[in-house]
Amino acid sequence: MDVSSLPISASQRGKLISAGYASLSSISSLSPSRLALDLKISENEAVEILKVASGRSGGQDKIESGSCAIVNGAQTAWDMLHEEEYSKCITTSCSNLDEILGGGIHCKEVTEIGGVPGIGKTQLGIQLAVNVQIPADYGGLGGKAVYIDTEGSFMVERVLQIAEACAQDMLEYNALLQRDSQACLVDTQPKSFLDNIFYFRVCTYTEQIAVINYLEKFLSEHTDVKVVIVDSITFHFRQDFEDMALRTRLLSGMALKLMKLAKKFNLAVVLLNQVTTKFKEGSFQLTLALGDSWAHAATNRIILYWNGNERHAFIDKSPSLPSASSPYTVTGRGIRNSTSNCKRVKLM
Amino acid sequence: MAPLEDLERDYPIIDSNFRMFCASHGIFTDTDFLLHDLSALEAFARQDYAPDKLEQGIKQMISIIESGQRPWLNGVELLEDSQLNKCTLSTGCEGIDILLQGGLREGHVTELVGPSCSGKTQICLKSASHVARNSLGKVVYFDTGNSFSPKRVAQFLSLLSDPSATQTNKAVERDMSSIVCHSVFDIFTLLDMLRQLMNNLRSQISFQVRMLIIDSLSSLIAPVLGGGGAHGHALMATAGFLLKEIAHESNLCVVVTNHMVAGEAGMLKPALGESWKSIPHVRLLLSGKYSATGTRITILKHPYLASGKSADFVVL
Repeated sequence: MDVSSLPISASQRGKLISAGYASLSSISSLSPSRLALDLKISENEAVEILKVASGRSGGQDKIESGSCAIVNGAQTAWDMLHEEEYSKCITTSCSNLDEILGGGIHCKEVTEIGGVPGIGKTQLGIQLAVNVQIPADYGGLGGKAVYIDTEGSFMVERVLQIAEACAQDMLEYNALLQRDSQACLVDTQPKSFLDNIFYFRVCTYTEQIAVINYLEKFLSEHTDVKVVIVDSITFHFRQDFEDMALRTRLLSGMALKLMKLAKKFNLAVVLLNQVTTKFKEGSFQLTLALGDSWAHAATNRIILYWNGNERHAFIDKSPSLPSASSPYTVTGRGIRNSTSNCKRVKLM
Repeated sequence: MAPLEDLERDYPIIDSNFRMFCASHGIFTDTDFLLHDLSALEAFARQDYAPDKLEQGIKQMISIIESGQRPWLNGVELLEDSQLNKCTLSTGCEGIDILLQGGLREGHVTELVGPSCSGKTQICLKSASHVARNSLGKVVYFDTGNSFSPKRVAQFLSLLSDPSATQTNKAVERDMSSIVCHSVFDIFTLLDMLRQLMNNLRSQISFQVRMLIIDSLSSLIAPVLGGGGAHGHALMATAGFLLKEIAHESNLCVVVTNHMVAGEAGMLKPALGESWKSIPHVRLLLSGKYSATGTRITILKHPYLASGKSADFVVL
């Protein structure tokens, strides 16, 4: 087993190899002080290196005898199917959109939503941040939201407006089913919706990467967060980035970290993206920003576009949903179904 | 490269006397031993005060080193191994099976490369469900983008089974229990899990893995590739060689997916660069968007089929 496949820094690796330790077996029997002396590093660093190395080589000798232990921690597809049946989705408050999404935004998946400016991406983001808090009695997740704002487009007054509309809808639902209002502990104060949204404002790409790195610790402390919304993921990576190769590496690293968070903490990650023009097949076409390699970073992709005077959403990429599109509108109460205004009168 | 002290545990002839003798010639590890002039070493050993023990020690070292090597094979043995042990697994998509003369072959590392939404994950899921249904073995699926959809696999399996059979649910359960899925989010974890898998397959004969799918390998390598250091390339090559070793030794079919990046003149080219091109045995290019009417798949590289051949296929 090679030292080069250990997740340690490049300088530490260089020191190990120049001191003659090229395989794990050669350092496994060393004491930290001996290693520190050989490499001319502090003893703490040597302890860290040995810990990483023993973590790796320990797994070699363990041979499990369970049926599912081909690889530690793997699950069978049958178990995953049952888990999926019990998982809930975050509704978008627009039933057409929910239908093409298979119920709403799914947890454990990274969904990318992109569109031209003014199509309603931030509105959709705010709607999801409010809808995730719908209690389980009403079919929601009853969780909190993390909103990472890179553009400064988060308007608190608008969130209050949408929260009020959501609370009103829940009361109506209550009345429809004639439920005893004391039985469901619903705090219909719109201000409580604001309490449950954790807001981060980032101003540079390094801050963005730092926040995403910090999220792991944050989410292990706040386990009831069920959605992470990044609005937008593109903004700091589009301007003034000289080194494109570095951009690709940073973006793909960020995508993997977000995937890991979605899976580990069982939450939904929603990334809002902008559009750019691309010269393809002789004409200029609108595509999502950040290039071809970013296109593979999300599990699902939804494109929002104008169709005449109506806003439409199109499922561009999904492992299990068929391609479909549906209309929606942005109203004072949030995202809702679109009701066609110009109905042609049938002449008998 | 093991230091000589470690070998004393298993081979007591490599005792401190022998090690001192070797140290006097600048030999501290087995690699140093190999690099040294062995006939000169034996001549020095004969002139020493305890020649027999030292000569035995030298012979033991040579046999230890030789036992770590793979045996030489001739063409007939390779052909027999290929005919008996390495069969062809159908992917479930007729077009692909016809193009590849049967399907994916065990012992080969097959790469599926294509632009976004061209159907790579769909082919992986369909092959996994087909292999789980038809072969008596397991499928290991390493998923990097949370795109393994059990619902879709169940859909494929229910399409495959006989509509008249009453045992459909039990059959689906049995097949889905042979597909094992694990999420991987960085290259180091992947290398660990591949080594673990290799060790487990070598030691236990009770379960048989037929197919290993990594979707997608390029998203694990992209964060480390480039940037001036050669470390990313080294990790990519290590992963590639490990996959080929697993495929050959344990008679597995390995499928990896790759994405595309912008190349010259606005054309797309496969990611991971020039050094990756030589690593997979078979490279298949999917062009265009995945649609219900059919997507084109082209052979970019194959050990015995002509490259450039293409076919249309549909994943229902």
